[in-house]
Amino acid sequence: MPDLLQSSWRVLRWWGFAVIAVVFAAPLSVCAQHANAASRQAVDGVVLQGTRNVVTDEVGRQVSIPAKVNRIVTLSPDLTETIYALGLDEKLAGDSNYCETPPAAKLKPHVGAPLNPSLEAIVALHPDLVLASTSINRRETVDALARLGIAVYASDPHTVRGMLDSVRKMSELMGSSAAGEALVGPLQARLDDLRMRLSELPLAHVFFVVWQEPLISIGQNTFIADALSWAGAESVILSDQNWPHISFEEVVRLQPDYIVFTSNHGGEGETQLADLRARAGWKGLRAVESGNVVVVSDELARPSPGMVDAIEQLARELHPEAFSPQSTNGNFDSGDRGQFARRVSPEEGCVLCAR
Amino acid sequence: MSAAEQNRGSVAAHPGDAAGAAASAPRVRLKVEQASFAYSPTDRSAPTFTLGPASFEAHPHELVAILGPNASGKSTLLRLLAGLSKPLAGRIEVDGEEVSALDLRTRAKRIALVQQESELLFPLRVWEYVLQGRYPHGRRLRFESDNDCLMVGNALAQVGAEPLRDRWMDQLSGGEKQRVILSRALAQQPSLLLLDEPTQHLDIGGKVELLQRLRRLADETRHTVLVVTHELDLAAEFADRIVLLHKGKCLRVGTPAEVYDRALLEEVFEAPLEVEMRPGGRPRVSLRGDR
Amino acid sequence: MRPLTPRRVFNICALLLGVLFVLVVISLRMGAYPIAVRDILMTLINGALGRRDQIPSEFSLVVFGLRLPRIALGILVGAALSTAGAGFQALLRNPLADPYVLGVSSGAALGAIVSLIVLPFTPGAVQVAAFAGAAATIGAVYFLGRRGGQLDSATLLLAGIVTASFLSAVIMFLMTILSSRDLRGMAFWLMGDLSSAPAVDLRWLYLLLIVAVGSIYTTSSDLNLILTGEQEASHLGVNVRRVKFVVYVGASLLTGLAVSVSGAIGYVGLLVPHVMRMLFGTDYRVLIPASAIGGAIIVVAADLLARTVVAPTELPVGAMTAIAGAPVFIYLMRRRVR
Repeated sequence: MPDLLQSSWRVLRWWGFAVIAVVFAAPLSVCAQHANAASRQAVDGVVLQGTRNVVTDEVGRQVSIPAKVNRIVTLSPDLTETIYALGLDEKLAGDSNYCETPPAAKLKPHVGAPLNPSLEAIVALHPDLVLASTSINRRETVDALARLGIAVYASDPHTVRGMLDSVRKMSELMGSSAAGEALVGPLQARLDDLRMRLSELPLAHVFFVVWQEPLISIGQNTFIADALSWAGAESVILSDQNWPHISFEEVVRLQPDYIVFTSNHGGEGETQLADLRARAGWKGLRAVESGNVVVVSDELARPSPGMVDAIEQLARELHPEAFSPQSTNGNFDSGDRGQFARRVSPEEGCVLCAR
Repeated sequence: MSAAEQNRGSVAAHPGDAAGAAASAPRVRLKVEQASFAYSPTDRSAPTFTLGPASFEAHPHELVAILGPNASGKSTLLRLLAGLSKPLAGRIEVDGEEVSALDLRTRAKRIALVQQESELLFPLRVWEYVLQGRYPHGRRLRFESDNDCLMVGNALAQVGAEPLRDRWMDQLSGGEKQRVILSRALAQQPSLLLLDEPTQHLDIGGKVELLQRLRRLADETRHTVLVVTHELDLAAEFADRIVLLHKGKCLRVGTPAEVYDRALLEEVFEAPLEVEMRPGGRPRVSLRGDR
Repeated sequence: MRPLTPRRVFNICALLLGVLFVLVVISLRMGAYPIAVRDILMTLINGALGRRDQIPSEFSLVVFGLRLPRIALGILVGAALSTAGAGFQALLRNPLADPYVLGVSSGAALGAIVSLIVLPFTPGAVQVAAFAGAAATIGAVYFLGRRGGQLDSATLLLAGIVTASFLSAVIMFLMTILSSRDLRGMAFWLMGDLSSAPAVDLRWLYLLLIVAVGSIYTTSSDLNLILTGEQEASHLGVNVRRVKFVVYVGASLLTGLAVSVSGAIGYVGLLVPHVMRMLFGTDYRVLIPASAIGGAIIVVAADLLARTVVAPTELPVGAMTAIAGAPVFIYLMRRRVR
């Protein structure tokens, strides 16, 4: 009897394996076939709903985008801000978590965190185009969406100019070139104006603080470094790493003219200086002693249209002499700034000048 | 007991008995011929210990004691007998087959080495533990048969551990555990049972009880029991044959009466001893006081 | 006395597979995109029968493109990690062993980081490099963990821990000198993430899973004996050296496989074997398949929770298993001490 059981077990075992293999293989095959079909669709631009254009996005991918884009999903707060600035917020079907600028963006359906959005939630919104940014999104997310047959355009902002070009390009894709030009043009003009005002002046030597403990500053290839150059400043730290850890001794050795912090709420300038004046080591720095501590809006660090405001703000702090007297109260007319709310203005006290 | 009678009957009909039904001539279970071994710490240095050529035989129903002081080579000889090391020269045969040439499973079916301790990682019941002794008798991935369970029952009965069957191993006392370990060795249905200093951690009562049980096993079943020990008195009392080792040399082989010579023992064990021959042929050894 | 029979093993596996099946159906139902169970079943049936044109394209997208691959990956990873954990617990004679204790996951992480530095935009490079890193670590720890020509439990454990520490230090060093852009993916990967599709077709991975688990299963009788002592086992006729080699290679490959495709999901390899032991006994002939299926159940369940608890935000699977796993672990430890 045990022999019969053992031999029947042997037979059963192999059949069991076979059954499991088939049960698994069938749906897996379908998944594999599906994946291939969808990605082929995305690239070939099969005519399904109207015509499609094949463009190359800013990381070099070929993307097939419908000619008429009606539903957009953004995966980063900066891109959401851009959409609102272009006046395209009605086409915005959904955005990522943490999209708070402008406040209306909070009311849009969310698809999850920028680092790890819910692919299903994105699919459920039926987007014509998804916008991603290399500054905060992962390549894996973009690839996964492409495999599902969804058009994803990835922007890759490295410089301020690059960001503006990117906004222009994206507005074209979405059929709103006029709005794009209307947004980017004046911003570009303001930047050019700034450059002209600051052209004769020496660059301010600045230590830009990303984080205090541990002490982290910026590298030469960062977006912020480029923004600083537009504001007539340059970082005293020369590093190839993007976020180098700096020892405090190095800061003492370099003795920067200014120390710059960023903040997302106003009114911090005075407290920041007072705080530094009380800290051992910091209080001995020349910049702290002379009160050259600047706190600017954190828009400076983010590639969005609002950063131009922040650049101007910083420029005013570092080179007040470049700006004519009637402008120092902060009410200069920068023309059409778009529909987004201005988060920080000079008179809100976010900037300290105690000379 | 019926089990013993069955076993005794099966000795005569043992398939290894090529001489046929001549049950009067004792079959040789274990034959050691000029086996020697040398141990060196690395391959290139000179040997630090040599086990000289040793020769002896053992038969079914015999209890053999390998006797000697510490570092006399007893454990080394045991390793050779168990097939764990190959002798440098000479042969060691069990039931006519050379031990070191056997594959692992066959060897486990012939020879059982009884451990002293067992450290279990996960809890196990007594019968599960003894059931593992049936491993050599099946394929690699196997599920035990009814016959295996029968063998386990027999093995437990032979050591009187039947009532312990459903207990957890880690709840047993020292003596109970030792019986169970012995029982697992018996479940292997070996020809040869090897024990290395089994009385080490036992008190005098425990020592006697163990040796009595081994003696009973040898008498009633077809096993040959080989015990490595340094206990002179126990060996004298229970062994049929003694192999006396000293510094790696096999000095003498024979019955206790033949081996227990006072001068010889004093030289080997380096202690003042008194040997007294009792009626029945078993000597008694005691310390000689000088006063 | 009731020895383990093939029928009992079969029954236990059937029971666990049933639980897994129900969980898979529930998991297919839940998600941001609303599909009724009826539609899911129709989609599955049509898909299996090859009638793909009868399925609405978005259903097909969600079921076959999103949910099913993720569940299939979860099953693969859960089964691989639990079997590896059970194997390592026997090999290292240590109930606290988990699949990562021998440094395999650190090796995979190092491979992943190196690939992010060297080939940041090649799809699938991370996974292949991670597996290569795991394989290299397996080889290195094997050679370090030998003693007298075969694997020795204590030496192996020490070799693995030292290697893991060393590799972690190298990883930390690399992470401080890399730019944040390359690293963003790493944080997710280190926590365990089932949302990336595997670089290699899932069917090949399943084949590897079955081969590795099968090989370990053939040694399950031997492992039962080895757990009562290696010397004792060899006296009973077990080829201990061979068994240790097979289990080491099999369990390490399973770990490398799981970590390469999904990052380091924790607690699964440690806890599932223990829970299965409490439920079904310590016999490895039932423990191996039970752990495999049990691990699949746990990971699919954890992933389901990770996807739905704070939707649309997706938590990393590793966080879910850690949150649930730590209290279970503490409970188990206290039981042991008692």
